Amino acid sequence: MGAQKKRAAAAAAAARVSEDPDDLARQPLQAILLADSFTTKFRPITLERPKVLLPLVNVPMINYTLAWLEAAGVAEVFVFCCAHSKQVIDYLENSEWFSQPNFTVKTIESHNIISAGDALRLIYEQNVIHGDFVLISGDTVSNMSLTQALQEHKERKKKDNNAVMTMIIKKSKPSPITRQSRLGTDELFMAIDPNTKQLLYYEDKADHSKGTICLDKMLLAENPSISLHNDKQDCYIDICSPEVLSLFTDNFDYQHLRRHFVKGLLLDDIMGYKIFTHEIHSSYAARIDNYRSYDIVSKDIIQRWTYPYVPDVKFCGNRATKLERRGMYRALEIEQSRSAQVGSFTVIGYGTKIGSNSKISDSVIGEGCTIGSNVLIEGSYIWDNVIIEDGCELRHVIVCDGVIMKAGAVLKPGVVLSFKVVIGERFVVPAYSKVSLLQQPTVHDSDEELEYADNSSGTVEFSCTADQSNGEMTSESSEAHKPKLGTGGVGYIWSICEGGQEEEWRHSVAPIPEDKLTELSEAMDDDQELVTQDRTALSTSGELISDSNASEGDDNEDSKDDSVYFEKEVEATFLRAVEENVKVDHVILEVNSLRLSYNMTSADCAGAVFYSMMKLAIKTPHSSAIGLLTLYPSPFSMVASNAYPIYLSGELQQNTANIITTWQKLLKSYLLEIDEEIEIILKFEEMCLESAKEFSPLFARILHILYDKDILQEDAILRWADEKEGADESDKVFVRQSEKFIQWLREASEEED
Amino acid sequence: MQFDDQGRVNKSKKRAVFNQPEAKNRVELFRHLPQYEHGSQLTDLESKFLELDSMHPAVYKVGVQYLAGDVTGGNARCIAMLRAFQEVINDYSTPPGKTLVRDLTAKISSYVSFLIECRPLSMSMGNAIRFQKSRIAKLPLTLSETEAKAALCNDIDRFINEKIILADKVIVRHAATKVRDGDVLLTYGSSCVVEMILLYAHELGKQFRVVVVDSRPKHEGQALLRRLLAKGLSCTYTHINAVSYIMHEVTRVFLGASSVLSNGTTYSRVGTACVAMVAHAFRVPVLICCEAYKFHERVQLDSICSNELGDSNDIARVPGRPDVNSMDNRTNEKNLQFLNLMYDATPSEYVSMIITDYGMIPPTSVPVIVREYRREYLLI
Repeated sequence: MGAQKKRAAAAAAAARVSEDPDDLARQPLQAILLADSFTTKFRPITLERPKVLLPLVNVPMINYTLAWLEAAGVAEVFVFCCAHSKQVIDYLENSEWFSQPNFTVKTIESHNIISAGDALRLIYEQNVIHGDFVLISGDTVSNMSLTQALQEHKERKKKDNNAVMTMIIKKSKPSPITRQSRLGTDELFMAIDPNTKQLLYYEDKADHSKGTICLDKMLLAENPSISLHNDKQDCYIDICSPEVLSLFTDNFDYQHLRRHFVKGLLLDDIMGYKIFTHEIHSSYAARIDNYRSYDIVSKDIIQRWTYPYVPDVKFCGNRATKLERRGMYRALEIEQSRSAQVGSFTVIGYGTKIGSNSKISDSVIGEGCTIGSNVLIEGSYIWDNVIIEDGCELRHVIVCDGVIMKAGAVLKPGVVLSFKVVIGERFVVPAYSKVSLLQQPTVHDSDEELEYADNSSGTVEFSCTADQSNGEMTSESSEAHKPKLGTGGVGYIWSICEGGQEEEWRHSVAPIPEDKLTELSEAMDDDQELVTQDRTALSTSGELISDSNASEGDDNEDSKDDSVYFEKEVEATFLRAVEENVKVDHVILEVNSLRLSYNMTSADCAGAVFYSMMKLAIKTPHSSAIGLLTLYPSPFSMVASNAYPIYLSGELQQNTANIITTWQKLLKSYLLEIDEEIEIILKFEEMCLESAKEFSPLFARILHILYDKDILQEDAILRWADEKEGADESDKVFVRQSEKFIQWLREASEEED
Repeated sequence: MQFDDQGRVNKSKKRAVFNQPEAKNRVELFRHLPQYEHGSQLTDLESKFLELDSMHPAVYKVGVQYLAGDVTGGNARCIAMLRAFQEVINDYSTPPGKTLVRDLTAKISSYVSFLIECRPLSMSMGNAIRFQKSRIAKLPLTLSETEAKAALCNDIDRFINEKIILADKVIVRHAATKVRDGDVLLTYGSSCVVEMILLYAHELGKQFRVVVVDSRPKHEGQALLRRLLAKGLSCTYTHINAVSYIMHEVTRVFLGASSVLSNGTTYSRVGTACVAMVAHAFRVPVLICCEAYKFHERVQLDSICSNELGDSNDIARVPGRPDVNSMDNRTNEKNLQFLNLMYDATPSEYVSMIITDYGMIPPTSVPVIVREYRREYLLI
């Protein structure tokens, strides 16, 4: 009985989606393949054919992805089709993928999906994913082994339930000049914990204008070590736990896999989900995101970095091709004229004819093409059944199926000719232009995800018309647009508007032109100059007065500024002390700290403290003074409207004396030597002349008070008098005034002697 | 010196400037060559810096550079040594009771033995030292000390200029006439004169392709490849294992040499002989580019009796691949011996032509150059 029960329980547990990691390991690996990139980078081609079916070295892209998934040990693939879903499903049905023994391909179709996020939400609803899965888009080429990455992912998952995703990254050096990676995508900045390989920060849209990125300082505070990478390339191959799908459902605003989902998880610290990275070193993985990566991945395939997914190895549906020396791949039944020159790293498809004296290098030519004589083809991608008549020139272009180029036509670098376009005789297609039989959609939403949805409807329209009246339509459009593509030309040249001409060269198949590179490198130099200028500007602005700066600052203006600030600070401190009855010792401490931070001498302190005391003496309203003012409205009332109340000299003297007595300890603490005392007298003199003329009649008396209170010694006063001896008459005003006092002091000292 | 002669080795050890522990497991056939445990020498030498009173700092510096491998390549090593001797001569003053000719020669001999300790001399350096000593011996006795020193320094300058720098320029001019449009040129390792030839031909606007063949453990070809690519040449890089595959496409082979011996044998970086033989088998002309000061009247038939042994650890490990470690901790195994030879000898029948500063000659004409011009350059 008991044993039976146990067995039943075990069966039940197995039936459920078990959380036990061992069970997970035994579960067949699943993969979600998004057969739609949800972007518009491959327009106008993608208006007529889905991106995953575009030929990459004469094999539709999706085959590379599926072949890799099969080899990597994935048992079940869900192909999510959206735009042109019918074409994708038809293709897969006719291919051998549905009849593989240990590899099942299932399609999920939906038409109203506009983003990867929506797609994953839909898949979650269908409840077909039971364990860890590989998330990949149908335009990825790879030959890596998943075993190690999967192992790491599972082990992490066992320890930490929040490790939901492992991203595959690969080293790739981005160009500092163009600020884009080798594959034409933006430079990617990643912060990774070097020990745990956890991804901490992900930024692919860094501020290019400044060349700076902003890191949350908490990143640095929370992690013992961080390595910030700018040389890594995101392969867009993710190993995900099933939680990822539910996360997409919970956060219905997640659309883009990287921009929303990854960044969202990294920012969200409530749930604590973690993303890890797995770096591959010797194997290959890259995603085709734009025309430039199409070019580069094609070249990588031809140069066999993606082995075994190369043209001469049959991995799926590709025709038998022979590899010859220097990377020349030739399929069977090629008719090539003896005088034709086929250079290195070229692929020539089945049944292609090449005329005499034609030169072909670094290019891919599809099946059933006819190339006339004296044709020049360089770095170009020519798909199937293209007819190129005599004397054409093609450099770094993409030419889709069924295009006809009449004799003498020239394609400048970066041109893309979509399906069945006809280029007229001797017509020169300008650089970076895109030519299609379809007119450019006029409605442009700012959101590129939404844009795609519009397109798919547009395509449906086209396919009907094309089916019904193929010949009719071409003739019509050729009449309407004769001047556009030369005599006999058919198609529309799309005006460049997405990103503008400026951005076009970044993503095109053509190599970056020389002038752009020099322009950019100059701009970069300027930038660096700007940065250095900024730095110097900052240091002089006084916003960042560091000790080193102040000591370096032999600039007169600088130190003057400093002393003004310092005086103000001291005055504010002193006034606060008076108001709040702060102890003298504390005030001394505060002034001392100010002195240190402004790098001032104690003479400066003495001067500043004395200055603030005198200011206070003027400001302090004396009860009797107010009374006097109200009783005797006098010419003084005009001055009284100023901030300072007016005193009779006797009262001011009294006030000053009071303040000096209360704060003499503060003042004395800075009067270490005679120099400081002289500084005080000089300061006082300056005040009487400039800022506080009220004191001028009282100068001698206050001097006396200071002497009485032992703040000033007679030596200091006498020295000051001696110093003033040789000065101008105007400077001697106060010496004169206190002449009697000085006389007295002199006599007193003589008596002592 | 024969390092399998125990008595002599002990004698030389007493004179040695610094300790060099000898390698334990050595290949029987190469016991006569010095082989040391690498790794500790540099620190040992550095720690002795203050004790070496008699050593001139310039010579010491060059010695450390040889030992650390910072200065490599026949020409670079030779120039570095001569420059150091120039400084020695400048700082020299004859001690009382001695004559300049005798004392300076003895001094230079002691420096040379120090340099040999750091790394065995190349034959070109031997020639340069011989030239230097003969210049000192032939100094007229009437010269004052300052005049003698100035004359010697001037001689060194002339040697460097005429025998190395100008000679390279002449070789480049000669060799460039052998490069035609559409050629595929193969080179092995990294030879500075071959590099100059390729760059010069490229500057002349010739359309050709370069195949750089490289080998472990030094991977010198990679540095060459990097420099060629920077100048915009179209290159193919491969390792010596694939040389028979790539030789189909090649139209000419340009090789550098450490020395050319009077029987026409080329003494060069290990692997050169293999490349030359494969090229010969494929009927591809092999051109050796070598300055005439590297010619030597010695006759050598194999690469055994005179050679240099490298660090055995270099071939036991694969740099950058820590996962390939099956040889770790095996270096001291008794019945395993590593052989890391630095040079090999290419027999003259595999060499089509030797390009030198006296023109393009067949290997059979090397003795003529050695005989006719040796006297000339020793006299300058």
